[in-house]
Amino acid sequence: MIRILVCQKWVAPEGDSRGASHSPADRAALELALHIRDRAEDQTEVIVVSLGGPGALHGLRDSLARGADRALWISGPTDLRSDAVAAAIHSAVSTHLVEIGVPDWVICGDYSADRGSGSVPAFLAAFWDAEQALGLVQVTEHSASSLGAVRRLDGGRRELLSVSSPAVLSVEGSVATLRRATLARELAAATMEISEATAPLGPRETPVEVTAYRPRARMLAAPAGQTALERVRSITDTATAAAHGETVALTPDEAAERILTALRDWGYL
Amino acid sequence: MPDSPMPDNPMPDNPMPETPFFEVVVVGAGPAGSCAATVLARRGVSVLLIERGPFPGSKNMYGGVVYPRILDSLHPEWWEEMPIQRWVTRRSTMVLTENQAVTIDFRSQNWGVPPYNGATAYRPDMDHWLASKAEAAGARLLTSTTVTGLITDARGQVCGVRTDRPDGDVACRMVIACDGVNSFVAKEAGLYPDLNPANFTLGVKETLGLSRSVIEERFAVRDREGVDIEILGGTQGVNGGGFIYTNLDTLAVGVVLKLPALAAQKTRPEEIIAHLKSHPGIAPLVEGGEILEYSAHLIPEAGRSMMPQLTGEGLLVAGDAAAMCLAAGIWLEGVNFAMASGMAAAETAAEAITAGDVSKRGLAGYEKRLNSSFVLADHDKLSRIPGLVLSDRVQHQYPQMIANVVERVFRVDNPQPKPGLRKIFAEERKRAGVRLRDLARDGWTGMRGFG
Ligand SMILES: Cc1cc2nc3c(=O)[nH]c(=O)nc-3n(C[C@H](O)[C@H](O)[C@H](O)COP(=O)(O)OP(=O)(O)OC[C@H]3O[C@@H](n4cnc5c(N)ncnc54)[C@H](O)[C@@H]3O)c2cc1C
Repeated sequence: MIRILVCQKWVAPEGDSRGASHSPADRAALELALHIRDRAEDQTEVIVVSLGGPGALHGLRDSLARGADRALWISGPTDLRSDAVAAAIHSAVSTHLVEIGVPDWVICGDYSADRGSGSVPAFLAAFWDAEQALGLVQVTEHSASSLGAVRRLDGGRRELLSVSSPAVLSVEGSVATLRRATLARELAAATMEISEATAPLGPRETPVEVTAYRPRARMLAAPAGQTALERVRSITDTATAAAHGETVALTPDEAAERILTALRDWGYL
Repeated sequence: MPDSPMPDNPMPDNPMPETPFFEVVVVGAGPAGSCAATVLARRGVSVLLIERGPFPGSKNMYGGVVYPRILDSLHPEWWEEMPIQRWVTRRSTMVLTENQAVTIDFRSQNWGVPPYNGATAYRPDMDHWLASKAEAAGARLLTSTTVTGLITDARGQVCGVRTDRPDGDVACRMVIACDGVNSFVAKEAGLYPDLNPANFTLGVKETLGLSRSVIEERFAVRDREGVDIEILGGTQGVNGGGFIYTNLDTLAVGVVLKLPALAAQKTRPEEIIAHLKSHPGIAPLVEGGEILEYSAHLIPEAGRSMMPQLTGEGLLVAGDAAAMCLAAGIWLEGVNFAMASGMAAAETAAEAITAGDVSKRGLAGYEKRLNSSFVLADHDKLSRIPGLVLSDRVQHQYPQMIANVVERVFRVDNPQPKPGLRKIFAEERKRAGVRLRDLARDGWTGMRGFG
């Protein structure tokens, strides 16, 4: 039996349950899991896990409706620090879903709808001593035990990865579009059983205060000039700056060369 | 799967054994649909309430004043729970010309205490609350699901609906269509003979953010008191009207525009709202308001004359889907008509299911119920009023005439002595080009409707 664990966070903006949702990344995580299951030759099970208040149950039911096989709700505060979230998930799965052992795949969204740190998957990989492939933008080909993926790197670069289970993956929303629930399944999900666990109290996320960007003040000499206009001119350099401009008729190659030469001459390159 | 066949029911169980089955499917969780589902669930009928939005009210808009006394029987003491913004204790009717405004203003503190009269409320709050009541009564609510078709049996009897979900069919004994204006369900069932654009108005609304204290100061209200202003004129020559309603910390400012007139004039509705907001009588009220939301929706304006057949084989139509919104000048009431017709449809459906006859004949009690309630009584009484209010004379000639008369009555033209009211009226009537015969005819129509 292959077991895929999907970790999702149900976020209600400003506590209003009407706008609550999983992030597109969390949704893509579930779809990837369902896709692997549907194409697997071996028997495969998708289990969704969510840590949070009772609102998380809505999210889990939504995932059950869309095709997850089982669900585990870990009741606990939504502002636990990432390592505490991962510890709670690891411990709840180990004690409440003993039969799973180390899951073959743990798939998470790259970010939750409240834009957390994105570091829960890395901690999960550490707890389960599993491989990790994080920030995936594409999953190319897969079997139940290995997959190829593309990861975004800084500077617009991409990395091609080949990952084998057991592994923790985190995916961006672009990886897959989550399927809709069939009508019968949507109705049935309302009464499906959801296992429950309680998260141990752990350290909370320290709230980061976000303020407007203010560059540091720098000491500058007062501009020269007798009148306000002269001083403005001296700051802005409008009168002295030479106007660069000429009209030339050139072939595209020559024009490119000419532009580069001019930029070099004017000190831009 | 929820399936609770009623005892001694002569009707066959699920006609499509593979599909989920409910005795009644209600399409649309607006006020009509949620009230219908509540009544049915309380009668022990298994009911599925299908809503296309992610939650009830998420897709809905209206001006902003609701008259919930019809809920006295369904949710006694509704005022304790209903998520309202303000209780309307001031009602004003304004007649605008380009630079004049005549206002009749009424205030009653009686409307600020139970059982109240009108209230301003946000649709996402109110519809959500009404639907939660239906769920609490035992109805199943299915959101993010659009009904895309009716399923009929060999006899043409409705026996299910098709939705946009995968494997999305639902079987049922009958359907109540509460899917709002331009009802797709009623049209598909052939209950609307024809749809004439002249029967609709377009309602557009801006929600403007202002602080609570500024609203209370400008509109002269305190605590949870609120104001309802209905406006004639100020729509840049497009036949229609305007409104301003106060919420706790927002204002609803909007216009209702006759569709053919709007199309002919080629003016954008948002320009008309901007024009209304810049009127000297309106600008000081809305100044500094931050636009938080802009929305638009059709209104079935022609009342009785555009109503479809209300009953089909296994089908009832309620609320705006049946054009039951009352748009009669000083009254723009749709929510209470929707709630009442939804409840009447549900009572009829519950009886028909118990009797084992959901055919058109078995559902005939619906129209009788509506006829004996305010829903069709008000529509019958006021059937000529929408036409009168939107007529060219009322829209383009009378406002100028009224404003000029009032201006002259209060103008002190010394050394001229004060002219008599009759003289002013006769002169201004002529100046506005209003023929006495038309005035008398319109007066008579108004008297008969409003009287
Ligand atoms: C600008 C404007 C101002 C108004 N002002 C007022 C006012 O101040 N006071 C007042 O009482 N009335 C007012 N009305 C009228 C009032 O909004 C309507 O009469 C009332 O909402 C009708 O209720 P309903 O339940 O029949 O339909 P709706 O409120 O339109 O609800 C229909 C529901 O059905 C759902 N639906 C539609 N099609 C489908 C489908 N195929 N499948 C599933 N779900 C579907 C919709 O999402 C919606 O939730 C105003 C209307 C407008 C447009």
